[in-house]
Amino acid sequence: MDILAGVIFVCALALIALEWVHRTKVALAGALLVVALGVTDLDEAIEAVDWATLGLLAGMMIIVGLTERTGIFTYLALRVAQLSNGRPVRLVFLLAGVTGVMSAFLDNLTAILLVVPITLLLADVLRISPIPLVLVEIFASNIGGTATLIGDPPNIMIGTHVAELSFVDFVVNLAPIAFVTLAVSTAVLFMLFRGSLQVAPDRVAELESLDPARDVRESRYVKRSIAVLVGTILVFFLHAPLHLEPAVVALGGATVLLLVTSDDVEEALERVEWSTIFFFVGLFVMVGGLEAQGIIDRIADLLADATGGSRTGEAMAIMWGSAAGSALVDNIPFTAAMIPVVDQLQAGPEGSDDALWWALALGACFGGNATVIAAAANVAATGVLERSGRHISFLGFLAYGLPITLLSLALATVYLLLFQL
Amino acid sequence: MAESTILERIVLVPASVPRDATYGDAADVLAASEQTGIAVLDADEGVVGLFGAEQALRGCLPRYLDELHHTAFARDDLDLLAELATRTRGEPIERHMTTPITVERDASAVHIGEVFLHCRRPAIAVVDGGRFVGMLDRAAFARAMILPAPGSAS
Repeated sequence: MDILAGVIFVCALALIALEWVHRTKVALAGALLVVALGVTDLDEAIEAVDWATLGLLAGMMIIVGLTERTGIFTYLALRVAQLSNGRPVRLVFLLAGVTGVMSAFLDNLTAILLVVPITLLLADVLRISPIPLVLVEIFASNIGGTATLIGDPPNIMIGTHVAELSFVDFVVNLAPIAFVTLAVSTAVLFMLFRGSLQVAPDRVAELESLDPARDVRESRYVKRSIAVLVGTILVFFLHAPLHLEPAVVALGGATVLLLVTSDDVEEALERVEWSTIFFFVGLFVMVGGLEAQGIIDRIADLLADATGGSRTGEAMAIMWGSAAGSALVDNIPFTAAMIPVVDQLQAGPEGSDDALWWALALGACFGGNATVIAAAANVAATGVLERSGRHISFLGFLAYGLPITLLSLALATVYLLLFQL
Repeated sequence: MAESTILERIVLVPASVPRDATYGDAADVLAASEQTGIAVLDADEGVVGLFGAEQALRGCLPRYLDELHHTAFARDDLDLLAELATRTRGEPIERHMTTPITVERDASAVHIGEVFLHCRRPAIAVVDGGRFVGMLDRAAFARAMILPAPGSAS
């Protein structure tokens, strides 16, 4: 039965990586097989689903979806582009900055879906290729999302699983390295792309003439939506002393937003990406099957043996291994499988150490930059490019993604060794 | 003589292009027909796709517009739009058409109404035994439903 659990999970990972079938269908089929073939029973399967993760995701999807309707994010992206005055260095750093910050506080997939279409329009206005800017934004979204508990799905999964880690813990331990990595990576990307980002003076004038305020919805709606979004983020900072789970904060914010705005509930709930929610459900059930069959324990034992029980070795193996796994598969299923492994290591003789969780977060999030399939944000951004008639091949993405990932992991290694281990 | 179906009250315009036509061919036929949609036909006059005002618009506007929800700030860049329109005209129609929606010539008003309410297309194709007969415009259908039939007691 343990072999069966492993085979189902590995096959599911392969199908997700190959993208022959929609990932949600793969995850649900895997979950069905796990239950139907008796790897785990229905009660264990339901127990394996991390409802807190699903609540946090759904709550944030509603808040961000409704706030997006105000037009405020379009306004921000456009204002930032105008601040660049068409100077490539400013344009690249400002777009990377705004994408990174939006990723940290909204989530990286949402941020990329908000910023990339505007970037295509900006590139048309400036008569430059959008591809360098979109690549900068993809990398910025995955790095920026690393900074907070809500910024990237791997962090959401870790943060909701480990009750002792608060929103502030994520910010204190991950935001500094995310900021440094974002700055260094953006500088490298600017050096690579600067030749293709030269803007003619008449195009700068055209950019300046755009009026981003024309898209912002009537002010009362904007004020209420922004107040709830900012309020929710502030409560995230205080959720530990207030004894509120992150999922409660997100769902609470969504509820308040629905109450204070006139939005139709049916329309608001359409903002929830149900395919993502069911993808997570399927993954949790499959990983539950691996746990029930003792496979997770064996992986943890193997990892502990391979590193000689050294905490530093374990952290490095988790980070670099997670990055490699995320690059090849997708960082969400890989993190789902690694969380119980790290749980097992924490129960070992070395005792509990948050550094292992930070190693997993850094590996999974930064690994998301390596290949075009490694993170949902990459798939979404390249999909938007594809639909607009531009194409980035797997190898074309890898040529930039792999060096940026290796650079990010090198910086994260130094950070972990100096400050966490 | 009393009409047996609602479609007998409506003029069906047989506006169509063959499936090997280009976007430019289809756009010209659409504009000349003054319909909201035309059919794309195979060699046996079966309907393989529809091309309407929405698809025509998508072809001459930047394709990222689908992803943008806020564009009031945008200004027309006529050179860019002209360049895009020129490029699109040569593309095969199969890249721009939608899946076909058809009703039979003897379809009931209730069925046609249900199709229009659910498919949200401004025009659908009418077929007879699989062969294209003409395009049925939503507005024309609505008019036929609202107005009393000729000769009926109002």
